[in-house]
Amino acid sequence: MIDFFKYRKLSYMASSFFIVMTVIFILFKGLNLGIDFKGGFNVEVRSDLNNQELTDIFSRIDTSREVIVKREISSNVYSIRMESGVDDKLFLDAVKDKISNLTNIEILMSEYIEPTFSDDLIQNSIYALLSSIFVIALYVWIRFDWQFAFAGILALLHDVVLSIGFMSIFNIEFNLTMIAAILLIAGYSINDTIVLFDRLRTLSSQEDIKIDLPSMINSSISLNLRRTILTSFTTILALVCLVVLAPVNLTEMPIVFIFGVLIGTYSSIFLGLPIISSLNYESVLKSRDS
Amino acid sequence: MNILRKWRFWSAFLILFFCYFTIKPNFYENNSSNKINYGLDIQGGSSFLLELSEEVFKNNLLLKIASQLDLDYDLNSSINNGKIEIDSTQDLTKLTNLVLQSMGLTLNKKTEFISIIDIENQFFKKSISDMTLNAVEIIRSRVDFLGNKELSIQKTGLNRILLEIPGSLNQNVKEIISKTAKLNFHIEKNSFVDTILLENSETNESIRVMARPSLTGDYLQDASMQYDNNSPVVSFSLNKAGADIFGDLTAKNVGKRIAIVLDGTLISAPVVRNSITGGAGVISGNFSNEEANNLAIILKSGSLPTDISIIQEKQVGPSLGKEGVTKGVYASIIALIAITIFMIAYYKISGLFTAISIITCLLLLFSIMSLMNATLTLPGVIGIVLTIGMCVDANVLIYERIKENFLNNSDDPKNSGFNSAFITILDSNLTTLFAAIFLFAFGFGPIRGFSISLIIGIFSSLIVTYVVLKLFLEIVPIDKTGLKIK
Repeated sequence: MIDFFKYRKLSYMASSFFIVMTVIFILFKGLNLGIDFKGGFNVEVRSDLNNQELTDIFSRIDTSREVIVKREISSNVYSIRMESGVDDKLFLDAVKDKISNLTNIEILMSEYIEPTFSDDLIQNSIYALLSSIFVIALYVWIRFDWQFAFAGILALLHDVVLSIGFMSIFNIEFNLTMIAAILLIAGYSINDTIVLFDRLRTLSSQEDIKIDLPSMINSSISLNLRRTILTSFTTILALVCLVVLAPVNLTEMPIVFIFGVLIGTYSSIFLGLPIISSLNYESVLKSRDS
Repeated sequence: MNILRKWRFWSAFLILFFCYFTIKPNFYENNSSNKINYGLDIQGGSSFLLELSEEVFKNNLLLKIASQLDLDYDLNSSINNGKIEIDSTQDLTKLTNLVLQSMGLTLNKKTEFISIIDIENQFFKKSISDMTLNAVEIIRSRVDFLGNKELSIQKTGLNRILLEIPGSLNQNVKEIISKTAKLNFHIEKNSFVDTILLENSETNESIRVMARPSLTGDYLQDASMQYDNNSPVVSFSLNKAGADIFGDLTAKNVGKRIAIVLDGTLISAPVVRNSITGGAGVISGNFSNEEANNLAIILKSGSLPTDISIIQEKQVGPSLGKEGVTKGVYASIIALIAITIFMIAYYKISGLFTAISIITCLLLLFSIMSLMNATLTLPGVIGIVLTIGMCVDANVLIYERIKENFLNNSDDPKNSGFNSAFITILDSNLTTLFAAIFLFAFGFGPIRGFSISLIIGIFSSLIVTYVVLKLFLEIVPIDKTGLKIK
């Protein structure tokens, strides 16, 4: 049996280090906010022109607006973002007018979001995240003990922060789809942790076996190790299919999710369970015995 | 035990029948309401999110209330900072709390100098919500007149309207939905007291008129586009009360000009030649055919009680969605095949049960979605692929637990293994469900489709695991060495 518990100090340190680095990185580099959260225009086009040519064409429509052109992974589809400015009302029609005259650009999708509405979307996304985390914590607390809830949420937050950092580092556009990805990573992370918690609870409730908490943690992990690996593997298998074959503007979501699955697997094994022991759960067990 | 197995057997059959009959309507070209809807991102189309101005609405409401107070209680009130102010030297005894309450007002502050009255919050919320519902009907009628048949329009939130139109977009839609359509008639007055200057930059026409409109569009009964000397004009008719006012007004002002103003913009200012008693008139003003038609439509449908603006718009061409769905279907099929191969290699015959579970789970997912008339979006396709992942996870958890029970030589390893694993599955799926529900509650647009697929997927996966997978585990004899047939 592998002594996972032994590595807890190392994993605490590594995770804390990465969390701090991620937070610093996000603070300095920021997130590549999409129009969902920043307002503005997004036009998806199919074209054989290159990045620079498209930037030139779209910049010329209104020179006062910043234009960001991004090529979608392995396709001739480009996403063109233009910032919001004065006279937004007529701008989208102006863009479509200009582009429809060009034969080498086909507009697939166009979208405008008013900055005040994107503020609402930010607010709603934060509500969705906080309320999910709160209800998940409440559920784990009711079904298990508060130590489990605390440890589970800590592991979950760890995964969420690192996933956001992942998006920042690789300049992945942060939009509503990514909020869905983050919520799903939160769900997956706690899912993975709960399976281990369940094991630990079953072990600790068995009257006939009296072993210490670290060994119980180790055997909980070992007994579930095959499941953890198999599930992560099959989920990633499905996600890889999606990366290769996702709808063209949604390829980044499964990529972020793959990262989330990996980090979630790590955190449930090396953070979730060991944290419980650090929360003096041993004394809870002892008082229950006596 | 035997009864339970029988129950499972028939339930499994029932699920298949249920799936067959609920999925079937999707393959027929009829208007059955129990079909999966395709989101605009899949079928192509346009969506607009309109916001009705809360501020302007409040101002209008305050004006109305203030004039009512002045009229009914002989007061002289003014409006300041979104509240009604009344000088305390006036007789306020009749304005009891009961009276205020019946008008949806609350006394905010009362000093010896001034009384500040505010609209009660609950009452305001209800007014704005009613106003939005009313606006939904007005917008629907406007878009209907343009000939869009399959539009979907609904109130979202307190003061927002979501309009979705599948297929290609009539360019006039944007024009007519973003207009308040407030029509006013102002009489010319050459003075600087209580007047405003109106200008039309296109025709270079300008006119100084009385600040207060002499007639408003509230009296409009009908409007239509007509031709006057081959140029399009909009003819309108007023109701009885409006016709009386208009007749009186035109009789008194023969020779003067009358400004026709739409949403604060001067359209034209014709000279009143004689009194118009029938309540019918014509608006001319250098219109193109489309402009005249749009104007007739918005006048006919009625004006909105407040300003309106488009805060989000999206237009999706048909090719993007079709390609996305095709790719999503391929992704699902390849994922299914890859997982099946892997599971059979690892769990032998039980891997096959997994494949059957996944297929049943997907069928059930589609059938519930059809039954609920749910909307499938592109992110929803991703949700479906993730459902496959959840279904596999449930299987793996159960198989591993059963294996362990075999190794520990426990009695009835399959049953106890399944039951203990199922509790874990419930626990872990419920937490994902919470996240999905909050995503639905706070989400917007295609993301909602993702949460719908996920929520239904979780339920399907649980049902299929409990009925179909367990049935297989019960009737097929398997042993400890990797769950092979004995």
